[in-house]
Amino acid sequence: MAKLDVELKVNGEDYKLQVGSQERLLDTIREQLKLTGTKEGCSVGECGACTVIVDDQAVNSCMVLTAQVDGSKIITVEGLESKSGLHPLQKAFIEKQAVQCGFCTPGMLMSALALLNTNPEPSKEEIKTALEGNLCRCTGYQQIIDAVEMAAEEWGG
Amino acid sequence: MMRKSPMKQESRQTISGVDFKEYFQPESIQKALEIRAEYGDQIEVAAGSTDLLVANYEKLHEIKYWLDLVKLDQLKKIEVIDNELHIGAMVTHLQLMKSDLIKKNLAVLAAAAEDVGSPQIRSRGTIGGNICTSSPAGDLLAPLLSYGASFKLQSTEGERIVKAEEFFTGPKRNSMETDELLTEIIIPLTDNKREGSWIKVGRRKALVISTLTLAVVLEFEGEKIVKAGIAMGSVAPTPVRLKGIEAVMVDQKLTDLDYKALGREVKASINPIDDLRGTKEYREDVAVDVMVRALKEIERKVSS
Repeated sequence: MAKLDVELKVNGEDYKLQVGSQERLLDTIREQLKLTGTKEGCSVGECGACTVIVDDQAVNSCMVLTAQVDGSKIITVEGLESKSGLHPLQKAFIEKQAVQCGFCTPGMLMSALALLNTNPEPSKEEIKTALEGNLCRCTGYQQIIDAVEMAAEEWGG
Repeated sequence: MMRKSPMKQESRQTISGVDFKEYFQPESIQKALEIRAEYGDQIEVAAGSTDLLVANYEKLHEIKYWLDLVKLDQLKKIEVIDNELHIGAMVTHLQLMKSDLIKKNLAVLAAAAEDVGSPQIRSRGTIGGNICTSSPAGDLLAPLLSYGASFKLQSTEGERIVKAEEFFTGPKRNSMETDELLTEIIIPLTDNKREGSWIKVGRRKALVISTLTLAVVLEFEGEKIVKAGIAMGSVAPTPVRLKGIEAVMVDQKLTDLDYKALGREVKASINPIDDLRGTKEYREDVAVDVMVRALKEIERKVSS
């Protein structure tokens, strides 16, 4: 089966991959790169569980073909932790108990990271807007917003 | 239009496979037009893909030919040429809402872009995609009608400019030919003071398909309205421009208008349906209220 050649930088590492034309970025991340932190929820852009960062912007990885992001820089939830330990966002999510079942958490973290990368001191409204494309069915939004605020204070501000 | 049979040119780099036949990612508009001319309606044109991948979610493997416009950087620009704003078809919603040119000159369009889907969708979805999907609920469409936008459609045969209100022909239908691509959105600028209002009604704030949208754009000379653009989405088979109401407003002062009466005119001019986002009656009643609200908002902006 012939494939398309695609080059991606994922979490700082370069990959040369071959993908099918209908292969979504989500499929490539989970099936080829085995980075299963990124979750598949609704598959149609409603829930945000599959959110990753493509060239500094939050993107639903279920709604983009891998071929379309050829040459891009991608960050997944696995890219948050570094040698120096957990990312301030991860620490804040733990501290504020912003995780219940955890399924929405990777997507929430990615949307929050995209926000803090461009706006290190967001208002509460800006945080809510940044997270509006992510659903949490355990309904713990308040803790999640608190966590992003805390991370912003400790990391951005 | 006759479907032209696909024929492969040697100069073109393509890959064929079992799961698909060909995936094109041209880097020039000319090349894209040639591919479009060759494959016509057999080829799926992909812009931001935020509609395309939802519509084809369970049958992506059935798409044999792809024309991916993502590498056409020429279509990602917003520029002023001869007192017109030219917006490339691949400009994203995020670009629209961040652009100083758009915020300054087309505030209603910027506001509508900000209300599309979610950050994840705004970062990929494009103005050209929103137009070509041609949903009656497409958020950018009423603003484009209100600003008197035109669309540049190109093919290998040449180009034509179609007015926005003539482009949409039905739910998810438009007057684009199968050998054409939308390349640019053209909106006239003005030296007059322009004030407007954007109202989107939906069941929640984010990630919602509009129950109803209203875009009002008024141009003033002094206190007098010299031009009015009023358009709505989700109230008819296509987004609609309410020209009868525009005519009533021109040459009037805002303060001389009877907002409630205009609202009732709006109700009489639309043709909504019952669907899962709202009933016909609901939409008609809300149409009155949003018109009044929009005019009050413009009144506040003008007087401040």
